[in-house]
This record gives sequence, structure tokens and C-alpha cells, in this order.
Amino acid sequence: MPNFTDLTGLASVASALAVSLLWLPWTKRLANRRRAWATGAVFVAALIPFNGLPLAAYVRGATGDLSITTLVLLWCALLRPWTLYCSFPLPGGRLGWGLARRENCVSTPSLVLTLQGGGDIEPNGLPGFKHRLALLALIALAAVTLYPLALGFGAFDPYRLGYGNWLFVAMLMLAALAAWFWKNYLIVLCIALATLAWATGWYESGNLWDYLLDPFVSIYALAAIMSHAVKTLVKPQRDRPAP
Amino acid sequence: MFNFFTRQLASLHTLILCVVLIAFAAAFCKVARHPSPAAFQVPEVAAQPGSAAPDFRTHFVSTRHNIHTHAASLVELGDGRIRAFWFEGSREGAPDVEIRSAVFDPAKNLWVMESSVANREDTQRALLRYVKKLGNPVAQRAADGTLSLYYVTVSLGGWAGSSITAIASKDEGATWGPARRLITSPFINISTLVRGTPYFYGDGSIGLPVYHEFIGKFGELLRISGSGEIIDKQRLSSGNTTLQPVMLIKNPQQATVMMRYSGAGTRRVITTATDDAGQHWSAPVKAALANPDAALSGAVLPDGRILLVLNDIEEGRDALSLVISGDGGSTWKTVYQLEDQRGQNADPARYAQLAAQSALATDGNITDGTQHAESAKRIKCEAQGCGFEFSYPYLIQTRSGDFHLVYTWNRSYIKHVMFTRAWLDQQLEKTADAKLH
Repeated sequence: MPNFTDLTGLASVASALAVSLLWLPWTKRLANRRRAWATGAVFVAALIPFNGLPLAAYVRGATGDLSITTLVLLWCALLRPWTLYCSFPLPGGRLGWGLARRENCVSTPSLVLTLQGGGDIEPNGLPGFKHRLALLALIALAAVTLYPLALGFGAFDPYRLGYGNWLFVAMLMLAALAAWFWKNYLIVLCIALATLAWATGWYESGNLWDYLLDPFVSIYALAAIMSHAVKTLVKPQRDRPAP
Repeated sequence: MFNFFTRQLASLHTLILCVVLIAFAAAFCKVARHPSPAAFQVPEVAAQPGSAAPDFRTHFVSTRHNIHTHAASLVELGDGRIRAFWFEGSREGAPDVEIRSAVFDPAKNLWVMESSVANREDTQRALLRYVKKLGNPVAQRAADGTLSLYYVTVSLGGWAGSSITAIASKDEGATWGPARRLITSPFINISTLVRGTPYFYGDGSIGLPVYHEFIGKFGELLRISGSGEIIDKQRLSSGNTTLQPVMLIKNPQQATVMMRYSGAGTRRVITTATDDAGQHWSAPVKAALANPDAALSGAVLPDGRILLVLNDIEEGRDALSLVISGDGGSTWKTVYQLEDQRGQNADPARYAQLAAQSALATDGNITDGTQHAESAKRIKCEAQGCGFEFSYPYLIQTRSGDFHLVYTWNRSYIKHVMFTRAWLDQQLEKTADAKLH
């Protein structure tokens, strides 16, 4: 009987496979309901055993368990197409819960955070571009520091700090509190949920780094940051009037 | 309505802060419970050896012919018997490679109960993830009698893609519990392998020497709690030149680590030492001993002298030596030449003849060395000739003071050498005037 760690590990990999379906061009043309069915079907199919192991187990053999940060971003991506719920009466006039047109409706966190004035939130209640960019920059910075040193470049191994170092945990807490102060709840949730999962021993790993970071989210973050940097550099040149 | 939203807003902001505080309260509780550094536990060895007579015996441990056999290790059981582990299959890295085990009964002078301990299918079923192949096994027996076996598993790529899997036995290795994966690297947990003998810390936690060979080649020590959780990890070297650390504990504070050299230039064993129970390690340096990028093994005698078994040559693995150092590893003296087939790049017929002679000399129970010779020839002969290989030694000293050594015999069998301290003393007298390395 698989234990909780294995079940959640397989479910995480199945979620990743389901999310990757959303990136396929033909799924973008589907209505939300059909996309939901398609991703649900991929999720279930990835967990059905064939030849002794489910597809998720084959992928997990190569990838290991995904970090909590990856899971938060995956679930943001999974929920993005169908999170246009109305939970409050709005100036536009709709009431109650249910799927709604984007321009007519915002969700609870969106409304609350927008009113707060500090929330960078999309109309569907999910974190907005600036907050995602800040998180990705943080991930990229952590990745370029951690991986080269952990893979043997130099005598210092930052991965060792993840086994229960006071200073490392305190630094993370300060980072989470700073993000909370600046209302970047995406960073707050990634750090807090990863730390909580580590403290409760959710994964096989006893190392906090494995809850915070994995190579896949690191590669994604580095690619996103570089892409954003290129766009930022190119844009002013495009906007410059022709001589 | 606006007040309602403001209240919602405030409560969400507060709720998120509560999540942060709960998470870090739990984290600080975990950090507070984290075991503090511990001194090394010096292996228990009788001051007066059980057997006063000089004794030197050899056997073959593995029995299957025409199969690729490699990387043996040993552990002493509660009743003084010795259990060996090794891997074997149609070739190294093949899907049919399994971890096998056998038990040596010193009273009967026999290896018995050879069996399979782990295979690829069972391991991947227990781990719930794909496993491509199995590799090096090492074992340790805790004070409560639990036998822990750590073995290399690969899901992706070659040996550089290795990770460590652990199984435990409560009945001296007769039956084993489900496999567990050790997470030792942040990069999809690849490239951690075991080879050196595990040891204990004073608090009962296990020390496991490991090494990496993905981008860098370097040694590390893992500290594993009694419940099997990794609680610390320490780097012994960095860069791209060292593999397979062997821990040699002199006393609770002092230890030396010897490592296989896998770099360019002069090929020498690499060594590093600690005087503060592993809190700090000296910069790795080359020792006087030659090393042809091959595994070594050792034990510390009760008087502090270090005994090593290694291929003390710069090229090949066709000679295996027992060497000793009385000055903490600065100088070495060869005590006994366990194997020496240097320069025997023989044709298959000559190779088979020499291998058959070696097999007959190894085990008194063998009356015809042909099968052993043919098995060795099948694996070690290529178009350019045949080469002998005596590699991957693994030496332990039992509680009674006797020494047991296993090593790969031509990639076809595991050879066992047992000798007493009296035999060692006798050899030391014989080699008193031998040249120092």
C-alpha cells in the first residue's frame, strides 16, 4: 500500500503532466469545461498502472518529487482558466457563486487585495505578473547559487543548510515576512507552505531545499527571467521613433 | 458593504501571516529537535584476539558461473558470522542485475545461504518509481540488531545518475523490509553512490561515506538517524578527482579518510583528516600510495595503525596489496601481496590456465578450476588479450579481532580472505625490513 508521501509524489507528477497538456496549442482553443475534462483525464491516466507502474511513476523515477514551489505554480496554472468566480455583489451587478465573464466579475482574493491597494492580482484572483516575476527572480537567484555549489564547485555546500540550520530557517522567515509586508502572497505562500511541509516531514527528503526548489522550476524561472530581460531591453528600441 | 470588504481584506492579510507564523514555529521546533554533532564511535574490537594462532584462509563467496559479479561488502552479524553482499547479472548495469548475499560461518569455515536480497523489479515496486539498474551495496548492523543495506539504484542515465536506496532487516538479513529512497542531492537526487564501509557516531546515528560522479567527482559523509532520516551531510573534497571515500576512525575525535583518485597526473590515493570528530576536514592531499583509479578499503588496528587493501599500482587492477601505516598514513609498508598477475596480458588459453590455478589455490572445495577459468575468460578476454582483475576490496575487522576481506575476482566471482591478527603480526615480522612507500 503506497504511503502518503508516495501518493502525493505521484499526484504531483500527474498534475505536472496535466498542466503540460494546457500548453499544447489545440487545448487552448477548447472551452474551459472541455479543458477541465482533458486535464482531469490526463491526471487520472497518469496514475493508472501499466506494466506494473503508472506513467507518473516512470516520470517520478527521473524527476523525483516536485518542490512545493513548483506545485504552487502548477496549481496556479491549472486553476487559471476556471477561476472566474463571483462571490460578492459587484458594482457590475452579478451576485452569488458561479462562472462569469471576466469583465463582470472578480474573485474574493482579487477584490480584497485590489481594495487593499497592494495586490498584484489578475481578475481571476490569481497572482499577477509582477508577483510571479518577483518569485521567479528569487527562484533563479537561489538556483544559480545552490546548484553549482551543491554539484561540487568549491568546498562549501549550501545544500547542507537544508538539514536544519537555525540561520537558514531564520533567513527564510525574514524573506517570507518581507514578502508578506509587500503583499507578495505568492512568495509568502511558496516559502511558508514549503517550510510547513518540511517541518511535518511530508516528502522523503529531510532537506528544506528540496521543498523550496527543484531543477524544473529553476530552469523555468531562469528562462522566464531571461525572456523578460530580453523583452525589456528590446522594447525601448522598438518604441524609439525611426530616424 | 465597503466595511465588509475591508474586514475581509484584513482577515486575509492576517490569515496569511498566521500561516507564516505556524509554518516557522513548526520549522523552529524541528530545528530544535535536530541532533547536535556527535563524536565518532570507535569500532569494538577485542584487545586480545580470539584466535591466537596465525591463520590465513581463502574461499569463493559467490557460486554462480558465467555471470558478471562485482562490488562485494561485508557486515558482522550478532553471532559472529559474516554476511556478504554483492551485485551480479548478465553484465554490469544490465536490468537483470540483483543484489545477492551469503553468510560465512567461521566455525564451519563455509559460505552458505546464498540468496537474492534485492532486484530491480521489487525495488521499483517498493519505491513507486522506475528503476533502470542496481549497483554497489554496503551494509551496517546497529546496536539493536537492525541490519541496514544501502545500495545504488539508477533511474536515469549511467552511474552518474545514481541514487541510494535503503532496506532494513530485523532478522540478520533473512528477510528485508520495503525499499526506501535516500534523498541526497538537490539536482533530481542524482549522482550519489556508496562504496566505503558505514560507521557509527556516539549517539547511534550511522555515518555513510558516499561520492558523486555527475559533473564533479567528490566525496561526502552522510549522517543518518536511527529512524533512517538523513540529518547531516559533509563534504570531504570538491572538484573532479576523488571517489569512494573510506573512513578510518582512530578515536572519537580523530579519523582519516582515504579516497580513490580519478584525476589526471600522478595517480595517488587522496587523503584528508579530522581532529574534531568531523567538524572540520583538512585539505585533501595525495598520499604515498599509488592508485590506478580503483577502490580501496581499510581498517584501523586497536593500536592506531592503519591497514589498507588496494591496487598499489598506477595502471591496471591485476595486483592487490595489503599495506600498513604506523604513522597515520604518512608512510606505508607492504605486508602481503594478495594477488599479483602484473604483466600477464595473456592469450585466452594461457589466461584460462592461470585463472584455473588461481581458482584451485583459492578454494579447497574446488576440485576442477575449469569452470571458474572459463567464467573469467568469458568476461575478461577481449580481442587484444586477457587481463586479470582483483578489485573493489572491502575489509572489516570483527569484534573478535579477525579480519575478513572480500574482493572481485576477475569480475566473475567474489573472493574471501580471512586472516587473524596473529597471522598479521607474523607477516609484519617477516616484512620488518621492507622498503617504505
